[in-house]
Amino acid sequence: MINQDILFLSILTLSLMCLLFLLLLYLTIRKAKEIKKRREIVSYKSKINAQIFSVIAEGERYRGIGCETAVKQKAMEELLSRYVKILEGEEEKKRLSDLASDCLQGYYRKRLKSKKWSHRMNALYHIEDFHMIKLLDEVVILSKKKNLTHQEFIHVLRILATFQYNGLKELLHYHDLSEYEYRSILMRLNHDLFDQFVLSFHKSTPPLQFAILDVISLKKALEYRFFTENIFRSYKSEIRLRALKALAEIGYVSNIEPYFQLLYSSSWQERMVAAKLIGSIKEEKGIPRLIELLHDQIWWVRQQAGQSISQFPNGKAILQSVLETSKDTFARDMAWDWLHKGV
Amino acid sequence: MLNVQWLDIVSVFAWFIAVYMVIVIIFYSVILTISMLQLRKEYQLDRIQAYEDYMDEFYTRPVSIIVPAYNEEVGIIQSVRSLLSVNYPTFEIIVVNDGSKDQTLEKMIDQYEMKEISKVVRKQINTKPIKTIYQSTILSNLFLVDKENGGKADALNVGLNFSHYPYFCSLDGDSVLEPDAFLKVMKPIIDSNEEVIASGGSVRIANGCEIKNGHILKIGLSNNPLVIMQIIEYLRAFLMGRIGLSRHNLLLIISGAFGVFSKHWTIEAGGYKTDTVGEDMELVVRIHRLLKEKKVNKKIVYVPDPVCWTEVPEDMTILRRQRRRWHRGLFESLWTHRGLTFNPKYGSIGFISFPYFWVVEFLGPIIEFLGYIFMVLCLFLGGVYIEFAIILFLLSCLYGSLFSMAAVLLEEWSLTKYPKVTDIVKLFLYSLTETIWYRPMTVFWRCEGVWQMLVGDTSWGEMKRKGVSK
Repeated sequence: MINQDILFLSILTLSLMCLLFLLLLYLTIRKAKEIKKRREIVSYKSKINAQIFSVIAEGERYRGIGCETAVKQKAMEELLSRYVKILEGEEEKKRLSDLASDCLQGYYRKRLKSKKWSHRMNALYHIEDFHMIKLLDEVVILSKKKNLTHQEFIHVLRILATFQYNGLKELLHYHDLSEYEYRSILMRLNHDLFDQFVLSFHKSTPPLQFAILDVISLKKALEYRFFTENIFRSYKSEIRLRALKALAEIGYVSNIEPYFQLLYSSSWQERMVAAKLIGSIKEEKGIPRLIELLHDQIWWVRQQAGQSISQFPNGKAILQSVLETSKDTFARDMAWDWLHKGV
Repeated sequence: MLNVQWLDIVSVFAWFIAVYMVIVIIFYSVILTISMLQLRKEYQLDRIQAYEDYMDEFYTRPVSIIVPAYNEEVGIIQSVRSLLSVNYPTFEIIVVNDGSKDQTLEKMIDQYEMKEISKVVRKQINTKPIKTIYQSTILSNLFLVDKENGGKADALNVGLNFSHYPYFCSLDGDSVLEPDAFLKVMKPIIDSNEEVIASGGSVRIANGCEIKNGHILKIGLSNNPLVIMQIIEYLRAFLMGRIGLSRHNLLLIISGAFGVFSKHWTIEAGGYKTDTVGEDMELVVRIHRLLKEKKVNKKIVYVPDPVCWTEVPEDMTILRRQRRRWHRGLFESLWTHRGLTFNPKYGSIGFISFPYFWVVEFLGPIIEFLGYIFMVLCLFLGGVYIEFAIILFLLSCLYGSLFSMAAVLLEEWSLTKYPKVTDIVKLFLYSLTETIWYRPMTVFWRCEGVWQMLVGDTSWGEMKRKGVSK
């Protein structure tokens, strides 16, 4: 019986060993090929680099830049990815996008249908980067596919947002996304499309509401100040706080009086954001309370009070006097911190 | 009569070892499959692209990087330099000098023009007293805290007390980070809307790589067999073990060399424990425990890609010390929290992770060691025993070499970090020899660790570094 076991185990071990050796053989061949391909890509890149640059920067017509092989497509993709990060002008961006459409459209169309998840994802990244609006239809079709992974779906939505696709709001309607995902989509929208979301704020789920307010605050969107003040008055807790934060970022409220009492709120988050608001509007009446908040028991409030004070023209002097006169070590510490920021 | 009994005992023993090994082999195979599927999915994904969108988010989740330094004069400047060029919007670096006896403090002060500052540190965790706090006059986000010697865990706790930001990362003084490492480890935290509260990255071995000014210029392979074997061991541990465990929130280890934690939860759990040698594992276990006790649904994950390069011992004596210490640390963590084992209150952690760590990680070396002794004995006894020896040897080939070979291939199949064809072949051939020399050796050292613990020897010696950077 033992002999049989030995036989079985030896065969098992040996066959597994053989299998691994075969795998090794396959992987080394693959690696060698990859290395060779990489070399080809690098040499093709250096060959066409100057020409690509003049096409993008000077709008020259291009001839003889082929994209028919995998190596050439990859080289083109890498070059364009590099340029897209450093380009500034609208003209140049447009030319790059045209060039990408001419050369890589077919390639990405195929890649979007690939069975490999990473291929599809990479194609999506590049479609967005190169702003290949000609592939809009393909992306829309992809968005309706059933077995799409969540990551792909999110990226599809981002692309559609970048392309200002009209049906975006409906697409979003049936899916629950996280606050961050909503935000990254909304950030890409132009004013008109974003307006649609603002108009249906009251019917939205909390993550979407948070995202809308955050986008207003990130964009410092002055045109939504009345809307935001409204939200602040009619909602409670977290949403109210986010609205307040957005107002602090915008730096404008129609009447500052009601906001003063928030500096005395029992919730530290409210005290902190209110301090931020006072600092960004530079409302001098708030200074005495800001100095008191430097003694707050919560670090974040002290930190914000320090920052708000330093935003006033005479902020440094105020902090200096706190540093010299206060008996509270934490307040002195925070004053010191803001006096020495950015050394 | 006596003879027959003797034979029975021997065969029972042999079968016990054999069955144990078969169980572990099955377990490893399952984990290997899970890892394979996961890694393969992301093969050739353009990773940098995936992080660009997050820049604003990253901005709002600043990280404090805590670098505990004890006698690190050789590497400290280089590692701080590598940290300063990390690609992350807001971070601060806190070097905690744990009463070094060499020039660590002076070197830092000179290099970065550190100036003494007076700052109040809120003591959320009890630590040894702080002597002086310095801030760099050229870089306002670089701090140096000088404290009395109290060990690595104590230094980390001081860093925690001092840190300003909601997340922190503990980092060994001699490791080099890849530029995008932080973006990559922070991504799961942001993606999950902070449901993930700790995330750990891969650790790779820097010996043999070309490093200058805290940057990896060229990834290479050392010529030292001991280092090569350790590379294989790390690949196996990280690529196979942790991906598999992380998938199901069963992870009990985030390497002390590189991991990001939520400060809130770490402080809630009480910070690092100072009287154990495995403070990194102990903390993760304690956080898991806290989460289960509070019944909150938070996660600890492992990210296969972000890479931190670290120096490993190149000679036997130090490697031996390290392994003894590791095994003791493992035991201490498991023993302190032994109540979790098979405790229904702790769910999968109690029923899968803990038994796994007890049986495979802790008892494994002891049983293997007995197996090796048994094999040698059988050779001397001859007869039917030879066959036992052959079975055990074949099993340990499966158990040791084959899985290591698979791990090397898995690396090349998915992440392809090593640039040359010869690197892979070399790693593969070395892993073939694992069962013959490296594995018995480390197993023996780990058993020594257990032995030391039993006789109550508490010394573990210091690791002398020669510095990997130029």
